[in-house]
Parts: sequence; C-alpha cells; structure tokens
Amino acid sequence: MPLRDLLLLIGGPQGSGMETSGQILTSALARRGYGVLSDREYYSNIVGRHSYVHMRISSHTIPRSLTYPVHLAGFVDAESVFTHTFDIASGGWLIYDAGTDPTKITRIPSMEPQVRDRLLGKYREHGIGETVKDVIEYLEKEKGVNIVPLSFKLILNMLRQKYNMTLGQAQRFRSTIIFAAMAALLGLDADSVSYGIERRFRGREKVIEMNKFLASKLIEEIRSDYGTPLALEPSSIDIDKLLIATGNDVVGMGKIVGGLRFQSYYPITPAADESTFLESHESLVVDGEKKGNILVFQTEDEIAAIASAIGAGLTGARSATATSGPGFSLMVEALGWAGMNESPVVITYYQRGGPSTGQPTRGSQSDLLFTMFASHGEFPRIVLASGDPEEAFYDAINAMNYAERYQVPVIHLLDKFLANSTFTVPIPDWGRIRIDRGKTIFKAEGDFKRFDKSEPISPRPVIGSGAITWYTGDEHDEYGHITEDPINRVEMYEKRMKKLEIADKEIPEEERAKLYGSGKDFLLLGWGFVKGAALDALAVLEEKGLKGAYLHLRMFIPYPSRMVREILDSYGAERVIAVEHNIMAQASLATTMNTGFKIGRYILKYTGRPIYVMELVDAVQRIVEGGEDKVVLTYGE
Amino acid sequence: MASNVARYKTDVWSDWCPGCGDFGIVAAMQKAFAELDLDPAQTVVVSGIGCSSKTPHFIHANGVHTLHGRAIPFATGIKLANPRLTVVVNGGDGDLLGIGAGHFVAVGRRNVDITVILHNNQVYGLTKGQASPTLRRWEQVKSLPRPNIQDAVNPIALAIASGYTFVARGYALWVDHLKELIKAAIRHKGTALIDVLQPCVTYNNLYTADFYKGRLYKLEEEPGWDPIVHEPSIDEIDEKVARAWEKALEWGQRIPVGVFYVNPHVETYEERIAKLNPLYQEKPIALQEIEENGTPAISREDFIKLFNKYIVEVDRR
Repeated sequence: MPLRDLLLLIGGPQGSGMETSGQILTSALARRGYGVLSDREYYSNIVGRHSYVHMRISSHTIPRSLTYPVHLAGFVDAESVFTHTFDIASGGWLIYDAGTDPTKITRIPSMEPQVRDRLLGKYREHGIGETVKDVIEYLEKEKGVNIVPLSFKLILNMLRQKYNMTLGQAQRFRSTIIFAAMAALLGLDADSVSYGIERRFRGREKVIEMNKFLASKLIEEIRSDYGTPLALEPSSIDIDKLLIATGNDVVGMGKIVGGLRFQSYYPITPAADESTFLESHESLVVDGEKKGNILVFQTEDEIAAIASAIGAGLTGARSATATSGPGFSLMVEALGWAGMNESPVVITYYQRGGPSTGQPTRGSQSDLLFTMFASHGEFPRIVLASGDPEEAFYDAINAMNYAERYQVPVIHLLDKFLANSTFTVPIPDWGRIRIDRGKTIFKAEGDFKRFDKSEPISPRPVIGSGAITWYTGDEHDEYGHITEDPINRVEMYEKRMKKLEIADKEIPEEERAKLYGSGKDFLLLGWGFVKGAALDALAVLEEKGLKGAYLHLRMFIPYPSRMVREILDSYGAERVIAVEHNIMAQASLATTMNTGFKIGRYILKYTGRPIYVMELVDAVQRIVEGGEDKVVLTYGE
Repeated sequence: MASNVARYKTDVWSDWCPGCGDFGIVAAMQKAFAELDLDPAQTVVVSGIGCSSKTPHFIHANGVHTLHGRAIPFATGIKLANPRLTVVVNGGDGDLLGIGAGHFVAVGRRNVDITVILHNNQVYGLTKGQASPTLRRWEQVKSLPRPNIQDAVNPIALAIASGYTFVARGYALWVDHLKELIKAAIRHKGTALIDVLQPCVTYNNLYTADFYKGRLYKLEEEPGWDPIVHEPSIDEIDEKVARAWEKALEWGQRIPVGVFYVNPHVETYEERIAKLNPLYQEKPIALQEIEENGTPAISREDFIKLFNKYIVEVDRR
C-alpha cells in the first residue's frame, strides 16, 4: 500500500553533501506536490563531523514536526550507521556503503567519546558487536530492517573512469548515491529527480549531466533489485506553487515585502544566513521596474550592528539587525537607547544553545526572559515569537510595523530549528499583509517637538524631513534636550510606558496567542518551534484516548493576559503543561508573571535537538496518566 | 554666502566648566557650518557620552547624542541610509579611542563620508579626571592617585593606519584655524578625523593652555609641507603617509597642528555600494516608498518573480 507519510534520515560527515541530497529530494518531491520538512543537525564545524538531515514527507499535508523512528535511512559513512543504529524503524530501509563493513566504532576519530561510550553501552545491551557489519546484521535480523548495501567504491570508480576525474572529485558524488538510492525506493519518477538536480545545480551543465547519469543508472539498478517498497501515494495537497525555503530565507522574504531598507549584522550562527539571503537580493528590480534597494551592512561587532540600524531608522529607513544570543548580549545597551529615544528598530533573534558560546549550531528557547528584560532601566519594547515559517514571514513584516507604529525596539524571536530547517511553504497571502508606518513623517520643518508629551505616541519626523530634532539617551524634554527635572521625568517615563498599554489595546489578543484544539484532558502551553510537534502530538494522543489542546504563545510583550488567563483557568493548574526548549520553563514564568496563574507541569528539552512527536506523546501520557510533574526529553543525536 | 553663526546656536545653556576647550570647538563648528551655509535640517551632529558629547544640544542642527563609544556606528547608519545628510561626529578621547576604538578603526576602513571631531584632553572629565587613552605613560594628572601606566594611543597615526582619508589636528583655542580644518574636513569626500587638542581646566593640570603656548606650530607654515595626495600612485601615497606618520609622532617641544594627510582619490563606502548596486545612489534608502495606503510596494506577482529561484511549480502529472 502506498505511504501517506514518511520519515527519512540522511547522514554523513559535514561537508560531504548531505544537505545537497536533502535539497534535491525536497525539490523532486515538491515538484510532485508533496509537503516536506527537514531539520539539519550539525556540529559547529566546517568539515568532518557527523551531520544529518531528518526529513518528513507527506502526501496530504505540509509537515510541521519530526519524529522517530525513520522508515528510510541513507548513510555515507560508518559513523552515521553507528550514530543512528536505533533510529530506524522495524521493517524500514537502510542504504549504506558496504565498504564500511569492517570499520569498528572504536576507530572513528570524529566520533565524540561520550557518543561512542553511550552507543557501546547500548550495543552490549543488545548483543551487538563493534563493526558496521555487526550493526547491519543486528538491524537486519533483529529489527527486520531491509538493507541496501552499495559499494560506494565501485560506483565512484565507474564514475571516475567515465568522466576521468580524481578520487577527490568523485567523492562529491556520494550525495548523488544517497539521493538516487532513496529516490529509487520512494518510487520517484526520473523527471522529478532530474528537476531536483537541475534546480540544485542551476546552470552548471557538466555537474547536472554527471548527476543525472549517475542517478538514473543507480535508480534503475536499485529498482530492479528492490522495487519501490516506499512508494508514496500521489499528493492530495491542494497547491500549485510551493516555496522551498529555510526559516532564515522566509524571514528575509518577509523583511523585503515589509519594506526593509537597512539590515546590519555581524556574522553569527544561526542568524547570518538571513543577512546573506538579503545581500543577494539587495536590488529589488522586477521586469526592469525598480522597486527600491536594500543595504546590507556587515559591521565590526554587534554593537555597531544595532547602533547603525537605529541610526538608519532615525532617517526613515526601515531597519533591522539579525543575531543570536552572544550578539544580542552586546546589543542590550543600545536596545535601551532605542527605547529611551522612541526609535524603531527590529532585532531578529535566532536562539541557539547558551549560555556563553553554548551550542552554536543547536536549537534552544532559553533567551525569552533575557529579551524581555535586557538592558538597564525600564522602557517599552515588543517581543514576539514565531513557531513556523508562515508565522515567521508575517511576523517579520509586523515586527517592522510595530516598531514604527509604537516607536519601540521590537525583538522577533526565532530559534535554530526554524532558522535552519527547510520547509515547503505556500506562497503568502497578500490579503494578510499591511504596512503601517504609524506617525512617521517625511516632510516637516523647523524645531520639532520630537517627544511631544500631548500624546504617548508623538509624530516622528525623520532626520532629513526638514524638521530639526534632537535625540539623547539622557532623560529629555519634548525637544530631545537633556533635563533632570523631576516632573518632566515622570511625564516622559509614563509617556513611554503608556505606548505599551496602547499596543496592548490595539493588537488583538487572538494574534498574540492561539488556542488549537478543544480537548479538556490537558492543555499544552508552548511557543516557537514547539508548535508543530505539539499539534501533531495532539492528534496522536487523541487516537490514544487523550483529548487535549495546545495554547501557542506568540507575543510576550505586550502579553495577552486576559485571553490566556481565561483559557488557563478553564483547565486548572493540574492540567496545564508547559512545553519548552529550556530548563526554567521561561514562557511559563512569563505567563505566571502576566496572569498570576501558576504552572506546575513541565515537558522540557534542552539537548539542542528538536522535540520529537513520539517523545512528547510519551511525556504527556506520563504526566496526565502517570501523575508525573516534569519530564525532560533527550531523544536524538 | 550667508554667514549667520547665530543660525547654528540653540538656547540650551552649555554647562561646561568656564574655560573648557569644548566652547572653542563648538564655536568653530558653528562658524564652519555658517561659512559652508549648511542647512541645519540636513545636517546631523552625532555624539557619544562625556562632556564633549553634549555638543549636539548646543548646535542648531539635528542632534543625536548616543552611547559611550558608539557615535560612529550611529552616524554611519544615518549617513548610509541618507547620504544627502552632512554628518559630523563629536566624541572625547576616551569615547572614540577607548570604549569606541573598534568603531574608530572600522569607519576608516570604509571611508564613509563623515567627519569625526575628537575632543582630546587626555582625561575622562565627566567622571572626574581619570586617565584617557591619550595620556602618556607615567604622567599623573591631578586626580590620579598614582601615575598612568598605560601607553597612549596616537590618534593621528591610528587614523592613518585605519584608512582615514583626511587627517588633521587642531587646537580648541585657535577657533578660526580649527574652523578652517572643520570646513575642509566636511568638504572632503571620505572619513575625516580632526584631533582637537583641548585643555581640561578642571582635571588636566599638565596639558594646559600654558603648556601648548609656544609648542604648537602650524604645518601649513612649514616650507614645502603638502599633505595632499595629488596623483593616486602608490609612490605618492607612501610618501605622504610616511611624512604624515613622522609628524604624527612629533610631540614635546614642538607639536604640529594642521592637515597631516589627505587622499581624495579613495572611493567612499557609499560609492563602493553604488558600484555594486547602482540603485543605491538613485534615491536614499531612507526616502524610498515602500508602500501605498498600506499595501506593500512589492506585490504578490513581484514576490513570485523576485524569489523565483525558491519556488517550485507543482506538476502532478
């Protein structure tokens, strides 16, 4: 019977083209209308350490979460076979390089000792030996995994002879072996695979030809030996165009549509890809028509990044900077300046594992409270968080709207999972897009009361408008000149903070939190990338007889207190479970602070890997049925 | 030409110590602005933190009083977003060469068309006279409990090494001379530094007006002094840099002021951007229309064309 959903894993050393394999498969699948989501897990390393792509494919929906075990795995090296021994489903399929058979787990220099020791412990438990061959035998005999052993050496030698290339050049085609073998088993047609290849190697004719040659040869051979055991049913997703993009790309697209004109950045993982994306789209020209241009400014540090973005904002350019934890740590003094000076600026914040350097390439949600409270003194700011690529797109636009409308710094929180995963995304709905520049003025004159106290939100003539304005980080009068007068202090302090009350009134609570489902057995409370896993876990739990709901938090300042309080009350403390990628359950703390509702059940994950549906399902059962208060998740290498 | 200095004055009372060198610098700026007939609405004075960084409040032009050390990146953002603006930075020696030294170097690498006026009095005045990065080793100004044991940084040499294309030194009490330097710096296309020596009457008992009297001399009065790179040849640049460097190191009985180095041939950062992206010079990014009645300038059709590379047309077959 053809499959509706499928999970697969591609593993190999960083730099060996695993991402390329994933991209080609994704394009080929999207071409036939399938929904694809793939998470990329990699070390902070350029070449050599273990990396993998974890993908979900669906014929009936755009996937939003990942889970284990996988139905199909393709590994180019021994380390991947070892690392993912226990990730493959019974009856699943494994493609690997039979040339690695004699390799011992103790002879993999790139494998971290802790990983090796943990695996060896499990191997002893299951009576598995130390070689790849031993693992393969275990998988085949004990787990009923179907093995597709390929001799990478023979395949690459054949390619070398045909195209007269060096071994080093031929090694690049390991990724071709993987995607071709997978395409064979998935029953993908030759045209869609060619489409995937052409899309990936756009314009590089020779590379395209070689890939097509090798892929079609392998697909033919593998299919004649194994058939198409993992064939997918035709897609029933009603869509004629799909974007294939990462979270970084989608945010970049949102910024461009939203009118971004100045983006500053200092290189940092996992944020820099967004700035690189913008840099490759600096000229906005459509069919010869000039729509404007963006300036991407690489600075000497993150302090200069936010300072220059604020400066650009003062002149009327929509401006933003993109960063991660260590970068934002440097930005906080200037964040306060923007708050004090009622200056719009957007900080797109991709969370990674902290503290300090932490886990630079791994995901986390441990910076929420930091963004809510960073910088000394008290000032208004808006903090919003996206949970999937569609939210990220509209949020990128709205963040700039809020920044100008309320004249505040806006922090748009995302995480590495969303940033670096590749998604198939529908083309955005223009009916949902509006640009709101608030009280920004481009023509004015004379000495201008930039901080006119008569209303909390003052007209904002940009520098260059013809008005003359002053700004200062000191407490100031209506003209922006320093004053320490106590009464003015009170008035200005309150004026600034009042803007948050206005934002709280104006931004509908339904946009700041969203309730999914109506089951009353439990309520999951989460944010960011937790969304997909939570929603999919609800469906699985319902099949198991547990009916719950998921409350997705989208904005933390101003917090949707009334709505959330009402929902939480309707469940009661016993049935509310916070699900987060941190150890403190930070969003639950922010919730308690804003609603007075105390949360006491937690599902937390801070390994740096995403929450998988099956572990979330299990954890919810342990809490709801087993009476546990807290479950810490650790699945995934 | 209008020469109305009053046009550039505000009603804000300058709360500097009587006799502070900052007064001379502000006066020179106002005179220079008047003689250049700068439009106050299209001029921006950006400062950091400290006594000298209060400057924007006393000048009738847009003023942006920022964070300690960060005036340069704020000013850079302002200039790059709207290159039509005239942008001048004021900061102290601690501000620009201590906490903000990274930015001081970076702006030179870019040659952004802004003017940096360095108020150099060898002390942190507003925090009561600590040693600044331009105080020399073993010197002990009066509020130091023990002598300074860090070496001084040389602003002129650092600017040249960082790529500034206009490097000068002025003296706060020689207002007309300083005014001319400021005018030349603003007219210069590229990053300009004016290192302004100024007495701190309250905390610096070493580098006083008396100290400078008789020691300062004007480079332009030296026979044959020509700091300008006339032909952009490596040889001429090397020669002019070497001579400027030599003068930068001169300190003691004779201290040079005036223009040390000018290279008008280096393309500015703005020109470099325009080279890569000609749209940049057509209209400042700050002033581009991004929407009409709330509808984005980029339509859905535009989106599909702009991001065509990312879009897959589903072909179900």
